[in-house]
Amino acid sequence: MAVINVNGISKSFGKTQAVNDVSFEVQKGRIFGLLGPNGAGKTTTIRMINYILTPDTGSILINGLEASPETQKMIGYMPEERGLYKKMKVFDQLMYLTQLKGMNSQDAKKAINYWLDRFDATDWKKKEISELSKGMSQKIQFIATIAHDPDIYIFDEPFSGLDPINSETLKEIIIELRDNGKTILFSTHRMEQVEQMCDDICLFNNGKAVLSGNLREIKASFGENTINLEFDGDGTFLDKLENVRINNRSTNFAEIRVLDHQNMQDILKLAMDHAEIHKFERIQPSLTDIFISTVGEDNIKKEEIQ
Amino acid sequence: MSLHKIWLVLKREYLTRVKSKSFIIITALTPLAFVAFMGIIVFISISETEVEKRIGILDETDVLVERLVELNETRYFDVSDREIEELRDEVMEGELDGYIVLSDSVIEHSKSPTLVHGGSGGLSFLSAVRSDLREAVREERLTRQNVSDEIRDIFDTRTGLEAIKLTEEGESEDNTVFASALGFVLGLLIFFGIFFYGALLMRSVIEEKTNRVLEVIASSVKPIELMFGKLFGVLSIALTQFGIWILFYTGLSIAAAPIAAMIVDAQMDSLPEEAASEAFDPAMLDNLVIEPAIFIYFLLFFFLGFLIYSALFAAIGAAVDNEQDTQQFMPIVGLPIFIAYFLNTKVMQAPDSSLSTFVSIFPLTSPINMISRIASTSVPAWQIIVSILLMILTFFGIMWLAARIYRVGILMYGKKPSFKDLAKWIRQ
Repeated sequence: MAVINVNGISKSFGKTQAVNDVSFEVQKGRIFGLLGPNGAGKTTTIRMINYILTPDTGSILINGLEASPETQKMIGYMPEERGLYKKMKVFDQLMYLTQLKGMNSQDAKKAINYWLDRFDATDWKKKEISELSKGMSQKIQFIATIAHDPDIYIFDEPFSGLDPINSETLKEIIIELRDNGKTILFSTHRMEQVEQMCDDICLFNNGKAVLSGNLREIKASFGENTINLEFDGDGTFLDKLENVRINNRSTNFAEIRVLDHQNMQDILKLAMDHAEIHKFERIQPSLTDIFISTVGEDNIKKEEIQ
Repeated sequence: MSLHKIWLVLKREYLTRVKSKSFIIITALTPLAFVAFMGIIVFISISETEVEKRIGILDETDVLVERLVELNETRYFDVSDREIEELRDEVMEGELDGYIVLSDSVIEHSKSPTLVHGGSGGLSFLSAVRSDLREAVREERLTRQNVSDEIRDIFDTRTGLEAIKLTEEGESEDNTVFASALGFVLGLLIFFGIFFYGALLMRSVIEEKTNRVLEVIASSVKPIELMFGKLFGVLSIALTQFGIWILFYTGLSIAAAPIAAMIVDAQMDSLPEEAASEAFDPAMLDNLVIEPAIFIYFLLFFFLGFLIYSALFAAIGAAVDNEQDTQQFMPIVGLPIFIAYFLNTKVMQAPDSSLSTFVSIFPLTSPINMISRIASTSVPAWQIIVSILLMILTFFGIMWLAARIYRVGILMYGKKPSFKDLAKWIRQ
């Protein structure tokens, strides 16, 4: 069952077309990754799902309901630009934000106390945010996002600005939520996070959704068309290869994407003539490579994806 | 719109402020500062501000100097036996503040004499010397004409004016001076109130942007709900503060008459009879008890004025990122309210003039100018009703504009918007 149904939405600001006829579905109990370079339209799409903005055309259904104040309650949202009231006590702040999401004060109190306890943060209850360290206030921010126990969780670039410990905590929370049947959508421009966590993805570029579906199926559809090569010796032979794209290259390593259906054994032979081969492996392409293949090399700024 | 969400926003806005130390300090200190301020004004106006100047009189008539010395013996000195050169030197050295040469033509041909002085003294000093001279010359001329005492009495007559105000309840003691002063002070309070609380609201909106908490809030409430909640939250703070001050004033004015009477009684014992009766009349304090209706009007006009201007302040707060950027918009919003403030002096002097009537009905100035008129004159009911209706309409108009700016502005970061941008946001 589709929990979030995005149907041909477009949004422009003045002359800038931020989102252009985007459609995708997010299934219940899965982790969905929105990825693409900065400025591709991810945040605008997320804001429309959260009913902070409304699309110019197209529709968004959350659990079958048109996006509205009612559907806002079903979503826990952590924006990229995040923060809390500096001069407000932790507990009061969480009560305020949780009640705004429609939870009554008794349930809110119970939920907040549960989460504060889980994050070993009960002692901070009476402290103002300005007294807490950055890592501590990030934990309070998670609690603010999840305390009202929504069905859907949306995180916009959740790992940017997080310290490594909180990054790990958030990953655990996301996977735990998924295992409890919740649905998670997050956006990122870091491909390796998507590979580690997502069940389904949607690739964004220039306001358009260029590819979407099950991550494993997408990768499989590209076949094992990539070679991981580890060697010792002169690497200049790599430059002689034709119809390949070398994505990742160092003095003794290369990830070689084979573009036509040439025999990979020929590449191995050539390599053996020039260097000592430590490892030769046929793999599925990386997400970065899929992204480049999909939108075409000319259409993206390389430095924006990693 | 969800009233429950507005209520949650209002409650947070109200409680976080009211519980803060700065609220308690400001609430306690403002009346004290006000009393101190009034005290200083009263002190300045009653204390002798001028150091007595020494004026030498070189009298060629032999009669005027006596009369002048009689009028003010610390100010005037007979220097008729001295040379002009000598007097000039003394003025230059500062031993004398000035000298006047009086010739017979001053009496006979009403010629204006000349005061030669060191250049300091001010207008009130010059007019004091002028009136002393007039009196001395007039007395001398009356004496020379052998005018009878009856006619002299006519010249000494000082006719006063007692005023009585006619109201529904009958005649009451007139208190125009106090009423005008009250009207001015109430207008002033509304002026400061709108600015102070308007700025508070604006800072509160900017604070949510700089804290980056706004987007989380925006994913839970509609911008218009957030705006209403904050607006009425700050308004509740203002009303709480004014409520405390009004209670404070009422308590003080009820207690003031007996206390003042006690002090005056105590002082009267130590003063000579005549001085005491002139010094203070405790009954005067009865006039300082303000009619409750005026407070109700005050709160009503503050309420409406605050709503109109705060909606604008909130929109500015939503349009910018930080307080510096508000400066380009503040003059536009501040202009009508400043005009109202400056015109309030005119309103106080002539509360029934057509200018006063106009500015008290025009919605952007009426919060300040109408309350001044209500306190100082009897304003026709239709004018009050029209001004209130216009303010309510203006509020909804401005609220509509502000909400549109707010809706777009709360998600804008980093860029300082121009007026053109704002117009675009409103149309969007």
